[in-house]
Amino acid sequence: MKPKDRQRIQVEVTSRVVQHHTDRAKTASEGYLETLVNDTLFYERQRLERDRRRGKEDAAFYDSVLRRMGHASERDLRGLLEQMAQRFVAEVVGNFNERVYRFATSVIPPGLWGLLNAMSPKRLLSLEGMRHGLASHLLVQGEVDHVRSLLDHGTLVVVPTHSSNLDSIILGYVTYLLGLPPLTYGAGLNLFTNPLVSFFMRNLGAYKVDRKKKCTLYKDVLKHYATCSMEMGYNNLFFPGGTRSRSGEVERKLKKGLLGTTVTAYVNNLLAGKPRPNLYIVPCTLSYLLVLEAETLIDDHLKEVGKSRYIIEDDEFSRPRQVYNFINNLMSLDAKIVVTYSAPLDIFGNRVDHEGRSLDNRGRLVDTSRYVTRDGQPYHDAQRDSEYTRELSDAITRSFLGDNVILSTHLVAYSIFNLLRRHNLGQDVYRLLRTGGQVASFPMEQVHLEVEQVIEALRSGNGERPRLDRLLEGGDIQAVVADALRAFSLYHSQPAAVRRGDRVFHEDRNLLLYYGNRLRGYDLGRRLNGDKR
Amino acid sequence: MKRNSVGVVGAGSWGTTLARILGDNDHDTLVWAYEKEVREEINAEHTNSRYVPELTLSDKVRATGDLQQLCESCQFMLMVVPSHVFRKVAYEMGSHLDGEHVIVHCTKGIEQETFRRMSQVLREETCVRKIGALCGPNLAKELAARHPAGTLVASHYDDVVRAAQRYLHNSYFRVYGGSDVVGTEVGGAFKNIVAVCAGVVDGMKLGDNTKALLLTRGLSEMARYGASLGAQVLTFGGMAGIGDLMATCASPHSRNHQVGERLARGETLQQIQDSMFMVAEGVKTARSVQAYASYQGLELPIVQAAHGLLHEGKSVQEAMEELMSRDVQRE
Repeated sequence: MKPKDRQRIQVEVTSRVVQHHTDRAKTASEGYLETLVNDTLFYERQRLERDRRRGKEDAAFYDSVLRRMGHASERDLRGLLEQMAQRFVAEVVGNFNERVYRFATSVIPPGLWGLLNAMSPKRLLSLEGMRHGLASHLLVQGEVDHVRSLLDHGTLVVVPTHSSNLDSIILGYVTYLLGLPPLTYGAGLNLFTNPLVSFFMRNLGAYKVDRKKKCTLYKDVLKHYATCSMEMGYNNLFFPGGTRSRSGEVERKLKKGLLGTTVTAYVNNLLAGKPRPNLYIVPCTLSYLLVLEAETLIDDHLKEVGKSRYIIEDDEFSRPRQVYNFINNLMSLDAKIVVTYSAPLDIFGNRVDHEGRSLDNRGRLVDTSRYVTRDGQPYHDAQRDSEYTRELSDAITRSFLGDNVILSTHLVAYSIFNLLRRHNLGQDVYRLLRTGGQVASFPMEQVHLEVEQVIEALRSGNGERPRLDRLLEGGDIQAVVADALRAFSLYHSQPAAVRRGDRVFHEDRNLLLYYGNRLRGYDLGRRLNGDKR
Repeated sequence: MKRNSVGVVGAGSWGTTLARILGDNDHDTLVWAYEKEVREEINAEHTNSRYVPELTLSDKVRATGDLQQLCESCQFMLMVVPSHVFRKVAYEMGSHLDGEHVIVHCTKGIEQETFRRMSQVLREETCVRKIGALCGPNLAKELAARHPAGTLVASHYDDVVRAAQRYLHNSYFRVYGGSDVVGTEVGGAFKNIVAVCAGVVDGMKLGDNTKALLLTRGLSEMARYGASLGAQVLTFGGMAGIGDLMATCASPHSRNHQVGERLARGETLQQIQDSMFMVAEGVKTARSVQAYASYQGLELPIVQAAHGLLHEGKSVQEAMEELMSRDVQRE
């Protein structure tokens, strides 16, 4: 963010947050502001209790808030609210600098591999030879020109699927490769803990999001920050799933909070009479042949307790050696990280043409301003806008399902796991995962046949159909299975499946489930196995 | 341009009855009627003798054949055309609609082949988002006589519910609001299938036990079918479920009920349809629901029986025997 905008946004966000709550206090029951300040105090002190070492300054601040709370008037409470909001805003605002971004993006991706091998930034930046690493392993496809054409007509909001902490780095690089302007995005604090990664995250347009901060005030600050940055014309990136997909599935339930800020920003743009009020949503799917954090993510998914674990601090991403191994192994394969840009949408879920005009399902022009006007006047309406966001969310999930690229590991994992289920009918999935059931391996021929049937079912579905990777499209089933088994053997602590002689053994069933889950959402269970809904 | 009128798309018996309510509530009402003679009669005589001869409209109600004029004059519209022409009319309207329009449809049917509900058709054929569905125990003849009645308008948008209540609610017509659009549409469409069967029961003079059995099991199938589409089961205990089911299955005024009764008397479906100039939605809905159920592996025996009767040439006795000889399960 430009320095002058940075200052402006700090003032604007603080003022909006304070105004929002002051307005609510007028209609809410008595003691609203006091409750809000107390709520913030409670959650912040609770957070600091767990991390006393790092938060000395914060602790001193909240101690002083607590002291002043005792005899605070309504005016004092507004003052405290403002101070707390200011503090959050200052922390959130990154120090984005476009020149640094250009520099960083030209170096980071080839150097990413080294970077994550825990080298110093100085040394990393001098490694010319690393310049050509990542690009050759990336396949970028889809509506790239369409997306580029929209830059003249409004602000972009890229909404990708989320599998790995590498996603944001990959997307930062792809954005640079395509010559698109930088994207502003909220990255978890855990991505900033490594000073080296932090350096690049900041300069790729990231601002800090501390998911340990649970208070309403902080969440409001984040929402208003995103809204303001969009209004100021900064292209944004949200992960609408909210967190990395634990199960390996493509996200089908999206978080509406951040998505909803697009409607707010749009109405504000109309109210301000901006010449380019439009925002465009660009769904984007990332498909990895192997996922760095696969083992931790699926473990977390399968643990009942783990399902509520929103932040994982001890996964593979936090272990440089693991990242290095992952990258090295991925480099030894032909591919594969596939980034697919879907057809851009307006914030109501309509398609848009290359001039940024919205179209209905029959290709007729739609004046989107009419969605938020009454007798021609724009107005905010929280209930209406949450429904628009729900519709947008549905449109994004349809794009995700339609542009999800199925790679060999996904297909083969699904097929083997399906065979496993069919050989252990009636058995609970969790038990099957734990014990492996009664059959340890399947003849290669049977695996080939199953893979063929799954491909056929994917191609013939009635609803959304995924994209198939070129290798899968080629029709050489043996090559597909070999590709997947080779990938499985390379990186994970235990391969998902392995070939011995003429048989394929399932080794890590959790991983089979994880990679195979990429095929969920296409009604395959019913069509292949006759599963009932 | 201010859109000061309220629109009704379709001038059959239900559309005309709704237009009368709007007129009674003193709203300038514009009705789109497909048939020229119906338009002329509404504008000249304030009646629609072809569909609801017993009813006189207020002079606030006018008719037009121009969908563009209707869309340009009305922000709030009721869509009351039969399901088989719904998509075509919606598409034509689509060229003249924008995001400020509010459309509540009152059509109780499901599109054949696509299994789409009418709100989905509207969503696909127009840019309108503020869509709602109206459904309840609303026999047109009784409402024409201004007998007290109630209905449900469901929409995801509060604006839609509020607008429908503002325009339609009055001293003899209570308009309740809800948000379960799927449940409301399923209730309205599904009950027509059960009504055909109820007509059969009445035609065969099988009595109240049989009818109660049919209605309760029909309701259960309705809920199962609705739940598979994402409806809230509780909706079926309200206006759009049990309410509409009771009215339609008990009333000899219902067209679907009449179809069943005449089948029981030995007439063929072709003979019945040839002699009816209005549409009995249950005939088509049975086909759509049966196709969807078999695709999804849903067990809906009453729908299956109705389908057999209406579309597979089964006799009333055969259909009844099939239903009664099924294995007994837990309720």
